[in-house]
Formats: sequence, C-alpha cells, structure tokens
Amino acid sequence: MNIDDPKLTAFALDELDEPEKSTIAREIAQSPEAQRVVDETRELARALKSEFAAELNQKAKPPLSLSDIRDDPWFWGIGRPLAIAAVLAIAAIIAGIAISPLGKKSEVAYSPVNLPAEKSADVKAEVTPEFHEELEATAPATSAIAKNESAAVDAYRRDETKSLALPPAAPMPPVSIAQSGIAAGRAKSAIGGFARAAKMAPAQDFGSNRYGDIRQPSGEFNTAAYDHIFENPFLEAKSNPLSTFSIDVDTASYSNIRRFVNEGSLPPKDAVRVEEMINYFTYDYAQPADGKPFAIHVDLASCPWEESHRLVRIGLKGKEIATDKRGPSNLVFLLDVSGSMTPPERLPLVKQAMRLLVEKLTENDRVAIVVYAGASGLALPSTPGNEKEKILTALESLEPGGSTNGAEGIQLAYKTAQDNFIKGGVNRVILSTDGDFNVGVTNQGDLIRLIEDKAKSGVFLSVLGVGTDNLKDSTMQKLADKGNGNYAYLDSLDEARKVLVQQMNGTLVTIAKDVKIQVEFNPEKVASYRLIGYEKRMLRKEDFNNDKINAGEIGAGHTVTALYEVVPVGGKVNPAASVPPVDPLKYQANNSKKTSQSDVATASSEMLTVKLRYKKPDGDKSELIEKPVIDSNAAFASTSPDFKFAAAVAEFGMLLRDSEHKGNGTFGSILEWAQEGKGSDANGYRAGFIELVRKAQALKKS
Amino acid sequence: MTESQQNVEELLRRFEVPLLQYATRITGNSERARDVVQEAFIKFQRNGAVAPAKTATWLFTVCRNGALNVCRKEKRMMYLDEEIIESRPDEQPMPFERIEQREASGFLMKILATLPPRQQEVLQLKFQNDLSYQEIAEITKTTANSVGVLIHTALKTLRERYAQSAREFLPFEPRTT
Repeated sequence: MNIDDPKLTAFALDELDEPEKSTIAREIAQSPEAQRVVDETRELARALKSEFAAELNQKAKPPLSLSDIRDDPWFWGIGRPLAIAAVLAIAAIIAGIAISPLGKKSEVAYSPVNLPAEKSADVKAEVTPEFHEELEATAPATSAIAKNESAAVDAYRRDETKSLALPPAAPMPPVSIAQSGIAAGRAKSAIGGFARAAKMAPAQDFGSNRYGDIRQPSGEFNTAAYDHIFENPFLEAKSNPLSTFSIDVDTASYSNIRRFVNEGSLPPKDAVRVEEMINYFTYDYAQPADGKPFAIHVDLASCPWEESHRLVRIGLKGKEIATDKRGPSNLVFLLDVSGSMTPPERLPLVKQAMRLLVEKLTENDRVAIVVYAGASGLALPSTPGNEKEKILTALESLEPGGSTNGAEGIQLAYKTAQDNFIKGGVNRVILSTDGDFNVGVTNQGDLIRLIEDKAKSGVFLSVLGVGTDNLKDSTMQKLADKGNGNYAYLDSLDEARKVLVQQMNGTLVTIAKDVKIQVEFNPEKVASYRLIGYEKRMLRKEDFNNDKINAGEIGAGHTVTALYEVVPVGGKVNPAASVPPVDPLKYQANNSKKTSQSDVATASSEMLTVKLRYKKPDGDKSELIEKPVIDSNAAFASTSPDFKFAAAVAEFGMLLRDSEHKGNGTFGSILEWAQEGKGSDANGYRAGFIELVRKAQALKKS
Repeated sequence: MTESQQNVEELLRRFEVPLLQYATRITGNSERARDVVQEAFIKFQRNGAVAPAKTATWLFTVCRNGALNVCRKEKRMMYLDEEIIESRPDEQPMPFERIEQREASGFLMKILATLPPRQQEVLQLKFQNDLSYQEIAEITKTTANSVGVLIHTALKTLRERYAQSAREFLPFEPRTT
C-alpha cells in the first residue's frame, strides 16, 4: 500500500471510523513498511503530546489578568458585571473603536506598511540570487544552502575537506581564498541552527571537533554565525606585485571580542577580524591639508614579532567636520523589536543608545522610527530633531514581541528615508538588530541585493549589532558593506556613546565612498609581503580602476589603518613566511630587464607605492592619490607610540586567532608594546585594551 | 456563585492556558494573546448557550477569530495571507529566537517551529488539545479531510527532519588516533 497516505496517519492517530478503520488495518497487516510508518507516527505523536504538554506547564508566566479575576471574589460578585457593563456602554458610545475591555497598556500605533508591488513577487522569487552565483564560482557546492539545510550540511562537509586539503600557506590568489572562505562560512552559518544538537550529545566536546568555530558557551543554544576566515598568506612580490583591498571602518569585531573576554571566554577564531580591531582605535594622523577629503600616511619599522621583517603601516585620516558644521541629517532608525530583542542588553540598550543620539539633534535634523517584527511599521513618522519629547516617547513605547521580518522593515525604512531626503545632507538608515532576519521573504542574497540597490539612492546605512547568542555577525557585516555603511557592535552603553556621540560625525557623515587601496611592491626591495587582516575586503587588481566596484566608506574624522608585514629582499625568511616556489612560466617572456620601464623601476630606491582611489559621497567617478614609500630602516623601538600600539593590537588579534603568522609575540610582549604605545589616551580606550589583553592572558593560562 | 459562574471558572481552569498558547502561536505575542483569550471568555459568559460538547470547539474558534483580528489590525500578513501560509518556504532557519518557546520546549519543538504556521496550528490543536480532525476542521474553517492532509504532511516533515538531525549530529565519536 501507499505509505504516504494521510489515511495511514489518521489510522495511527485513531481518527478513522468503521469500516475504513478495519480496511486500513488489514492493509497494514500486509505491509511491514506501513506498520513501521504507523509505529513511527504514534511514537512521534506521543513525543509531541508530551512536548506540547510541557509547553503548557511552562513556569514563570506573568500572572494572567484573567486568573486574577477568577481569584477575586469581589470581581466575580460585582466587579465583573460592572466591568462588562462599562465595556458595553463604552462600546455602544464609541462604536467602531476596538478596545480591549481590561487593557491598560498603551500600544504603539503601527501604521500600515506600503510595500511596493514587487513584494509579492519577492515572496515567490527563486532562491538563486546573484550572491549565490558569485559564490558558485569558487565553491559550487555551497550554492544550494538556501534551498535545503541538508544540502548545506553536505556542502559544508565538502567544503571542509576542500579547505583541509589546502597546504597551510598555499599561494592562492587572495581573492579566491577570501571567497571560498565566505562560502565555507556561509555553509557553516546555515547549519548554525543545528548547533542545538549539543543538547543531544552533551558529553562531547562540541567546540573543538568538527565545529571548531561554532561556539557553545555554557551548553546553551547558540546560533551566532561567524564566517570562516582564511588568513591572507605571504605573497611573492615578483609574481604578485599588486595588493588591492577595500578600506574598512567597521569596529564591531573588537567590541564583540571584548564581550567574549569579559564574559570569561576567548572568542571563536572567526569572530576575530584583525583590521576591525586595529581600526577600533583612532591614531593621530595629520588632517588633510590640500582640500582632499583625507590624507594618506605611511610609516614603517622593524616588525616586532619577527625582527628580520618590516612592518608597514598605511594610515588614512578623514577630514574632520565640527559638530556644528554637520549638514542637516535625515535619520531613520530601523529597530528590530522581535521577541529575541527582549533582554536588557538588546532593545533596552538600543533605546538608550538612540536616546543619546537624539539628544544631539537639532531642528534641522529629522528622525523617523521604523520597527519590524512579525510585521513592520512606522512607529514615528519623520519628525524634526527638536521635537525631542515626541521622538523619545515613541522610542520609549517600543516593546519587543514577535518574530523578525528584516527585509520588509528595510524596505520601509529606505522608503521613509527617500521620502524625506535632504539634498547635500546626511541621509542614513540606522539599523539595530541582533541580526535575525528569519521570517518572510528574507534570504540573505535578496536582502543584500536590496541593500545594494537602495545604497545607490544616496541613503547610507549604519548597522548596530547587539546581543550574544544569536548575533548574525557575518550578515551584519555584509549588509553594512553593501549598503555604503559601517557596522558597530554595541556591548555596552559606553560603546554606544563612542559610536553615536563621540564619533557621531564619523558614523553619520560620509566624506568619501568606494575607497580602495592598491599597493605596488618593488620586487627589488621586497621578497614577499602579507596584508594583516582585511580578508573580507580583498579586491582583484583589476577592481582598483573599475569604478563600478563598490568598496568601503570613510566618515568625517575617521582613521583607517592597514598593516603589511614585509619580507625584505635578502632578509631572513621565517618558515611561515616562505612562499612555495612556482614553476617558471613557459610561454611568457619572463625577461623583464628588456623593457626600459622596468629599468626605471628596478633602479628605484622605493620600497612600495600606495595608490588610493575614492569617490565623493555623491559622485560616481573616482579620484586617485599616490604616495611612494622609501624604507629608512627605522627600528621598532624608535617608532611612534601609535605605531607600537597598532602593532600590539594586530598581534593580539593574531594570537587570538592562533595565527601561523603570529611570530614570536606573546601576551607579555603585546602588553609591553601597548604600554609604550598608550600615549595620552584621552578616552581610556587604550587602557581598556591593555586590560583586555591581561584578561585574555589569564583566560589562556587557565 | 451561580452555576454559570462555576461553569466559567471550570472552563477557565481547563482551557485558559491552552487557549493562551494557541493565541500566542498565532499572534506571536503573549500580551495580545491574553487580551484575545479574555475577550473570548467574556463573550462566552455573555453568550452562555453553548452546548457542553461544543464548548472546546467554540472557545478555540472564538480565540482564533480574535487572534486573526489582531493579526489583521497589526498587519501580521504572514499569517493572514493564505498563499504565504501554505507556501512559506521550508528552508527557513530555525526560529530559536522565539522567547516564549525557548525555555521549556525541547528539540522537537524547535523543529516544529520550522513548519508552516497552518501546520503548526493543527498540530497544536491535535496534540496539545486533543481535538478530533472534525473539531479542528470546524475551528480552522476547513474540512476534516484537509486537516488530515495537513497533519499527515506536518508529521512526515517532522519525522524526516528529526531523523536527519539525529543522523547528522548524534555520532560524535571521540577521536581515538
């Protein structure tokens, strides 16, 4: 008999009447297969009944007003008829207004969502967005992720074998390394949901086996998703003279790491993004003097964790804009109010953070609040910044509840921002969430395309991540990246103050977009080099001059720092920095001495040239800045405090990642460099770093 | 205390929590669910003349209508739009985040939460409230036959996912080499 017959299920659940029941029973008797299905169904029904029963017995429910009524004799005697009568009377008077008889709670008035007509199309949209296609190029197996969880698991396994098969420092082009890294990470984040299996096998060491980078603090469910990071390898300067990447002003990784350490555990490796740690701190680079939006500074010295290597620091400093010179701002707060945002360090923290920001606004600014949960809506239409009370009241009345439809909220937020667009001003959506986009049309590829599309309208995006167990770190980072934005992680009100008040203009005012850096190394001086961090920001060398390629933004007063570890020609090469040799090319005239141009280059005393391209915030044609660099053989001991501090942060990141490139550095030497590099430390961030290193050191020992 | 008050009190004791769970699953919000259940009982009190055998069906039906009204009011279109309910893609990540489910419910409930809302609803009516296909059909305004198909499909999916998860994650052999 057909075992996929609803009648079989009905039989198992005793829902059939005679004579059907007997008929089916006879058929089942003939088929062991059917008998098995019936048994399984009954087994499952029993399990479901007990789980559902457990749901009813959940403790710690807030007392029901209904139960109160029941236990209150007064109410049963007099109060209740009165209440009902009152309700009926009111209802009769105000016909048509729905009221809850005993409800006291004021509700946020959600106004209807006016979604563009494409919404229903979105719902049915096929699940193969470009984003997946892009991944397919390097990891075909992972394209099926969104379609099927089991496929994702398989894909992940295949991907895992693939990555294991890579030699430790395989000289692959950085771009494909970064991409397969993303692919592998995505596969893992897709199975992140299955991490609950920890509950089924509690005795096993979940953290260190196959799931090295999915963390399980205290055995609780954890769906936090971190993309796997393959570190940039050393590359030979002769065969790879160009290194190209997008700048990154995100800082989320550092505050996320700090949260882990403060909670008493070392962060998962893949939560450590070294460039975001370095860029968490501001460095004292001189402001641009030539009317350009930013200045480039390059300095270099011996590499503290590998004496024979050179450490090159490239620093960008965005033009500062005085607070009173900031243009009028049109801000839309897009707040996740889903149930998962309930804990104090989530929605309540976000509300506090927003309050800080609102305090700073003036009558020239406008604020709207869009919330999203099971449904999304406009909680506050665009309101002038001096109507603080109105804004704060709306903010205050937000309550978490329901599940999350991020996509719908994002659409509405961008629409609101566009409707109130201030030409020449700051137009920005500030998204705050624990990162869950789990209901409705959402799949990551669609979402990213949506954001990318909206970013073209001149509305920029800031992402403020909150929460712990569920933080979709990788999604947040990608959204900010594609949405011409920045991503910060709020682990405390102090952090909110840093991001939204102290660095308000940097967060809000974009002074240049699509900022790309390309470094050309002179093979006569440089044997090999390695970019520290920026794994998720690598670009192809062709992308540098291609204005269609999106890259990072820089805000007013922001500093961006990148470090290269360079092996000089003739220098001692440590094993981790050695580049496996590649066979000489057979068909290329590998005889560069013939061209006169390379004569010039080889005669040059320059070690490298930093080239930088950027666009004005509203422009679409890039401008170029170049800066050649000569190595003056400075020693690390004699460099600036900032240089030392940046090196300390980078090495800290590498130790946390247990990087094969960490060299001789220890927590002790990091502390030493950081102390020397502490400088005036007006805000105490560097002291905080030193404290963090000490805690991490203690954790590592224990 | 009159007979009808006693009756209501008894019904409250028996149905209050299941109804709350039911309305919470539809509205996604326990506060709203509380209002909905409250109103249902007040209506019951007023209405009075419900045949005892039909009481459960009556209460669940009224609650469902109330909960759907809340959805309508708050534009929880995900639940209202029939097409979306039926076609909601199954590949969605597990919504572990639903606070109200997180504490007490186990593994199976996590998988359950990945089913389309309509399937979750019928399973809840069937296995939490022990209602028959016919009663469920009356509450959800469909036929007993459709309820049968829904439950069958839901159980099948649950079984598959449960088995798959167990297969993928149970064999954690400590490494011996």
